[in-house]
Amino acid sequence: MGSKPFLTRRKAFIAAGALGTTAALRRQGLISSAAAAGSELPPYIEIPHLQPFLADPNQIADIKVCIRPFRAAGPRLDVERIGDKTVFHNYGHGGSGWSLSWGSANIVIGKVATTLEKKVAVIGCGIIGLTSALTAQRAGCDVTIYTRDTLPHTRSVRANGSWTPDSRIALTKPAGPAFADLWEQMARFSWATYRGYLGLPGAPIDFSDHYVLSDKPMTTEDIEKKNAGKIGKGDYASTGMPQSSSEFAEYSDRITDIIPQAETIRSGEVPFGVAYGKRQQMMMYNFGAYGHLLLSEFFQAGGKIVNREFHSPEDLKSLPEKVVVNCPGYAAREWWNDKSLIPVRGQTTWLPPRPDLRYGMVYNGSSMLSKSDGIMIQGFDLELGEMAGVGNSFEHPDRSESERAIGVFTELFNRNAVKKG
Amino acid sequence: MIRKSSLLVAGLTFLLSGTAFARATLPPLTAEQADKGEALYGAACAICHGTAMRGNFQTPPLRGTFVARWANVPVSELSDYIQRAMPLMAPGTLSREDTIAITAWLLKANGVPVGKTPLPSDDKLLHSFKFPAIPAGSYKAVIPD
Ligand SMILES: Cc1cc2nc3c(=O)[nH]c(=O)nc-3n(C[C@H](O)[C@H](O)[C@H](O)COP(=O)(O)OP(=O)(O)OC[C@H]3O[C@@H](n4cnc5c(N)ncnc54)[C@H](O)[C@@H]3O)c2cc1C
Repeated sequence: MGSKPFLTRRKAFIAAGALGTTAALRRQGLISSAAAAGSELPPYIEIPHLQPFLADPNQIADIKVCIRPFRAAGPRLDVERIGDKTVFHNYGHGGSGWSLSWGSANIVIGKVATTLEKKVAVIGCGIIGLTSALTAQRAGCDVTIYTRDTLPHTRSVRANGSWTPDSRIALTKPAGPAFADLWEQMARFSWATYRGYLGLPGAPIDFSDHYVLSDKPMTTEDIEKKNAGKIGKGDYASTGMPQSSSEFAEYSDRITDIIPQAETIRSGEVPFGVAYGKRQQMMMYNFGAYGHLLLSEFFQAGGKIVNREFHSPEDLKSLPEKVVVNCPGYAAREWWNDKSLIPVRGQTTWLPPRPDLRYGMVYNGSSMLSKSDGIMIQGFDLELGEMAGVGNSFEHPDRSESERAIGVFTELFNRNAVKKG
Repeated sequence: MIRKSSLLVAGLTFLLSGTAFARATLPPLTAEQADKGEALYGAACAICHGTAMRGNFQTPPLRGTFVARWANVPVSELSDYIQRAMPLMAPGTLSREDTIAITAWLLKANGVPVGKTPLPSDDKLLHSFKFPAIPAGSYKAVIPD
């Protein structure tokens, strides 16, 4: 393989046919956009020998299904007046809720602060509610979280949990250029906040080497824009639903100055005997340690959690607080009757933890990431790209999807073992 | 430094009648002052506080929490602070007139309407106006995102 630096920043590389476009991978939260660019790994860096994991469906410990709360215009961050309550919305973060949480909370609580109200109610205890509550506490507010479920039971912990700040966060056109600026502000603020949580016991936030592997050369082509994941006629404007991957916004190019970039691995050194590969150092969230840490911080700062389910905006009347931060995620569709939320189904499969493995990879329609709470496997659809799961709110496990995703690694590991003799 | 105030209550009352703030208590400023301040902001302040005035992880925003920190404080204290401490890399370099213009821009950016009377440069006069809080519920009305 020629090992020239062959990528320009704006052009995604594709591994003809086999890998799908990196843009598609990135939008699904499988790699960051930086993997689409990048130079060659310098000679002084050696790729470590990677141990395989037992890739067998009989190792499945959990299958988690979640609905991404997607909105074409991006998350809802406006303010509404209901009776004597002022409601600051913070929901609809698509496949980027973990990544953007702190930045989004920073913007919303900035608005809350202007009211000079000290007592703040937060609805929801997913990653958006919890970071909003903590941000409000840090701004000097007394915060009560009203929620149906606490973090471990929320959709949030059924995510993948890596830095994917523009994974199905909006559609380019409906969101418009102003949202791109806001996104950048959120992404930068979140990234900086997360860096402050690195190096703590239990590694709530961590970095991991992420490998993008391919049997075919990764070439520069810009074809992804045109037809990837085109499922129907027209577009969002004409049908009310996205119809092709190319409608989804990509903003990651705006922050490559702070996000470690992907680098091409020298020929012959690619893990598991695969022909072509790239490596990127990626940030990830270990749900157990991180969730526990955030809840502890919230309680230590005097926060209270009230178990409660709201059924209509009228219910807000009974709250003692005048200021309400509304963070129900996808459930805003039911509880706030917000039909602008579009469900985007996603599924992750969990194998037992392997703390000795410190890597993740993407290969042939499947991705894995070794996290403190297990090896996470996520399959993705090479044909549908971004459109996979769009409009699908079937929140039940599909075991065959999990088995197929694991099978990709079974095949890879077996082939490599045979090759090595 | 979050204070509840009668201003807030007054603001809420006015909100019902369609006005974001209790006008009588608002500091005056002209469009010319604010425009000049905006240009100065772009040259001297935006490098740290950002073109959208949202700050960043290290630098405080000049909207949102900024209002909470300055609400009900005499405007003279804000302009004095700007003159003495800002810009951080060259404090004390802004003229009085430029400082007042930047103060006017900060007020406008945080929802204070422009009018015919300029923001006074005289410290005593300036002291009589308070930085306004944004009443709950009128955020959207006064600050575009
Ligand atoms: C498969 C998959 C992978 C993902 N991977 C990533 C990733 O790698 N990185 C990333 O950044 N993002 C990822 N996401 C996206 C991320 O998970 C979401 O954007 C995020 O979880 C949304 O969080 P939330 O707090 O808004 O919603 P939720 O987690 O749904 O929380 C909502 C909260 O509101 C409460 N609530 C709801 N309705 C009511 C009511 N009526 N009354 C009272 N309380 C109520 C709930 O109990 C809950 O506490 C992924 C999503 C999926 C599906």
